[in-house]
Amino acid sequence: MGAANLDTYVHRESVIHRWSPRLKLISLVVLMFAFAMVRQLTLVPWMLGLAALLYGLSGLPVSFLRQRLSYPGLFILSLVVLLPLTVGDTVLGQWGWLTLRQEGLQATLLIVGRFLSILTLGFILLGTTPFLTLLHAMRSLGLPTILADMTLLSYRYLFEIAAMLATMQQAMRLRGFGQRRQRWLRVNGQMMQQLAMLAGNLLIRSYEQSDRVYRAMRLRGYGYGAKVAVGQSAIAQPGTLSWSLAAAVLTAAVSLVIAEGLLRR
Amino acid sequence: MHIPDGILPAQVCAAGYAITGVATWYSLRQINRKPDPAAEIPKASLLTAAFFVASSIYIPVPPASVHLILNGLLGVVLGYFAFPAILIGLFFQALVIGHGGITTLGINATMMGIPALLAYHIFQSRNAVGKMLKEPTRTGLFSFLGGALGLGIAALIFLALIIFNIPAELNAGAEQAAVLTLSVGHVPLAIIEGMFTTMLVLFLRRVKPELLEG
Repeated sequence: MGAANLDTYVHRESVIHRWSPRLKLISLVVLMFAFAMVRQLTLVPWMLGLAALLYGLSGLPVSFLRQRLSYPGLFILSLVVLLPLTVGDTVLGQWGWLTLRQEGLQATLLIVGRFLSILTLGFILLGTTPFLTLLHAMRSLGLPTILADMTLLSYRYLFEIAAMLATMQQAMRLRGFGQRRQRWLRVNGQMMQQLAMLAGNLLIRSYEQSDRVYRAMRLRGYGYGAKVAVGQSAIAQPGTLSWSLAAAVLTAAVSLVIAEGLLRR
Repeated sequence: MHIPDGILPAQVCAAGYAITGVATWYSLRQINRKPDPAAEIPKASLLTAAFFVASSIYIPVPPASVHLILNGLLGVVLGYFAFPAILIGLFFQALVIGHGGITTLGINATMMGIPALLAYHIFQSRNAVGKMLKEPTRTGLFSFLGGALGLGIAALIFLALIIFNIPAELNAGAEQAAVLTLSVGHVPLAIIEGMFTTMLVLFLRRVKPELLEG
């Protein structure tokens, strides 16, 4: 699943790590939305600078960002790669049939700038906060109990079920699945049937396991009394550092929105 | 078929969160009306994880392969739990592999979740047909419609959002042509998704019919 290293850097001691999870979540999400509102190219360096500053404060290694950006980066490149060549009337340069257009290039820079900045904030949030702490913070901010419980339980069994699927797929391959040569652009009905049964078996195994899990939870009191989410615990009150960081980030977010409004005029 | 951060304007992202909020509230209200909602949560949670994992299964179509979305199937199997399940699955994908995004979580959940709820209602409407169609044709047909329309509607929303929000300078004619071309291109994918859903639902009907009670 590529997520085994999810909590690798969450136990460091930077100011961002010590930032109260609730305030960090609110502040960074507000800043992400402020970034999403940016339409002026002149604000892109500011946005990238802010994201870089926060990343620097978090003490996370650059390799963490590089590693996590590679997959979504390729995806966004595939979406915007044609824009500088197809959109706009102002020609910046022409090489044979290739024409570089100003409007398309500006749109690409804007999209890539926003994407990099928002994603960096997302990785700061995830890289400096344990997943369960993040979920507790969301719960304390009003996330419904059912959603919180479902998220925790799904997360708890995600890797177990992924391992189960890997074992089942290996067993299929050992019995010769996928060895037969297929014709181009044809869907092999038999193969699809076998894959549907594989997915069906995975669902059945998970369903049966969930019954055992529910019984165990019930024995420990789940479903009785007060509505308390699984694994819920008290969250410490934020200190001066947390409030200062939140104030600074929220000020930056508001400033960006105001600058965007002024520049648009 | 996830919209990443940075593509859509903040207003569209906020609208996505608003729709997701309403759809989640509606789904949770329906879930809380069940006789014992607490009993359903572990089942829905483990099935959410299983769907998340199962979506990594590819159908080989040489020289490439088709990636399944399974949102229609999720609606068919999980009923009103499908929307929260999709929201959680997308949240994991955004955090764990950077697929999708935090600001676009609402719009992605709307894009996948609303068709999943529609698929659930389509599948449930098989009972209204009564004995006009015999089993297993009836279950097979309605699961195909659920699976194919689940993906088809999600693909239409995705394409419309991408095309109407990226290239501001494209003219309306070019936008319409692009939407039409890409929509037609998704028809075979919707058929494959529908076929896969049918095969899986008929398998579950034989082996574990209680999984299809929604």
